[in-house]
Amino acid sequence: MDFRKLQSANKLKTTELLFGMALLVGVVIWALMTYFGKTGIGVVPFAVGIALLSVWGSYWSSDKIVLTITGAKIVTEAENKQLYDLVTEICIAAGLPVPKIAIVEDNAPNAFATGRNPEHAVIAFTTGILRVMDREELQGVTAHELAHVANRDTLVSAIAATTAGALALLSDFILRMMIFGGGDRRDNNNDEQNPIALIASLIVLILAPLAALLLRLAISRKREALADVTAVAFTRNPTGLRRALEVLAADSTVVHQKSTAVAHMWIESPLDGSKTSQLFSTHPPLATRIATLKAMEGNG
Amino acid sequence: MKAVLFVVVILVILALLAIMSRNRLVRANISVDEAFAQIDVQLKRRSDLIPNLVETVKGYAAHESGTLEAIVAARAKSTQATTFADVAVADGQLTQALRGLLAVTENYPDLKASTNFLALQEELSSTENKVSFARQFYNDNVRTLNSAIKTFPSSLFVKSAGVTTRPFYEVDDPQDRKAPQVKF
Repeated sequence: MDFRKLQSANKLKTTELLFGMALLVGVVIWALMTYFGKTGIGVVPFAVGIALLSVWGSYWSSDKIVLTITGAKIVTEAENKQLYDLVTEICIAAGLPVPKIAIVEDNAPNAFATGRNPEHAVIAFTTGILRVMDREELQGVTAHELAHVANRDTLVSAIAATTAGALALLSDFILRMMIFGGGDRRDNNNDEQNPIALIASLIVLILAPLAALLLRLAISRKREALADVTAVAFTRNPTGLRRALEVLAADSTVVHQKSTAVAHMWIESPLDGSKTSQLFSTHPPLATRIATLKAMEGNG
Repeated sequence: MKAVLFVVVILVILALLAIMSRNRLVRANISVDEAFAQIDVQLKRRSDLIPNLVETVKGYAAHESGTLEAIVAARAKSTQATTFADVAVADGQLTQALRGLLAVTENYPDLKASTNFLALQEELSSTENKVSFARQFYNDNVRTLNSAIKTFPSSLFVKSAGVTTRPFYEVDDPQDRKAPQVKF
């Protein structure tokens, strides 16, 4: 399987999903207009504003925030020469500046990368992953993480989170307005409303937050799949990452930090203790990822 | 009035497209130059490691003077190389010579156990990786430039951007040919 084709296929999928989110916003605004008329639009800037404020602050300083949440410690070249070399090698392959490198004290093997742009990126490894993986496997993991940096996945997930957040707020506002401000509607509309449209808009408003969440998670899974493929583009060695994922699959320990706030960043989902439905997962199943990498090993 | 506005909008869009296509070529060309500079940096780093490596190996494996001389000669050639083709040829020879040395060190357990050599070995294998990733990155950038030169609409601006297709950086390395054929 050709990694270049896989890369563009995954990028196209993200675009489609983001387009789906935009469509959802359109539908919710339509529902709002149907129910409240033009005056209802006034709540849109509020919902978008609050969502922007809550997401973009953490997007902008994601490197610093994540270091605080996870307790990761920055290491210098002198402190861990081999790890520094490993990361530098992939940066050369990717044409990226060398990011800050950090280590998290945790026995579970895992790694993550974040930062608003390549110049503010952080890549972090748990002490567990450094212990159980050999150089080739760690190279695959590093390439996967730096692929997130190169693909600007912090930005993509911030956009998805903002849209999903705005939709959740919007539908919450509207449902409250329906309950407490039902009078407004009767004043503004001429009561010649199509009842089917009203019921449809109500259903849209109730389901929109869930649909937005599902789209957001689907985007996250696509970005993970893309990062695996981009990692192969960097190393030209699917075997390393495939073996690394097999190590993760065999390992049952899970990172102690079960905070959902940072779940999407780890190479393996830290929340997968229970068998949640695939639809609600931030990562594609390890078995699928391993199979894709095997296909790339098979016929190059 | 409306028709005039329509024509103006179309013209502005076309002009923007033209500027973007031309910039794409110029940027791709700069990226190739930068990627080549990166190869140069990594080759220089490798070059700087060699005197230390030769000294260390000499102490334990005096019999391998032939292999060591080959390395010193290949290094001298690579530091003198200036043209694109010469750099690639010298790079290939030095890569082969170093690989030959690492192969014979297998016969010298004392050397392999020495801490100095272990540190050098890590440094050297990481540098080899960096050199080969720098080559790969260069070739990726050449690929991007060459395909921009050949595809529409950027192909229209090749002359005005002053770019030409660039050759791939290929080192003559028998081990590469022996490696399983992986097509990307």
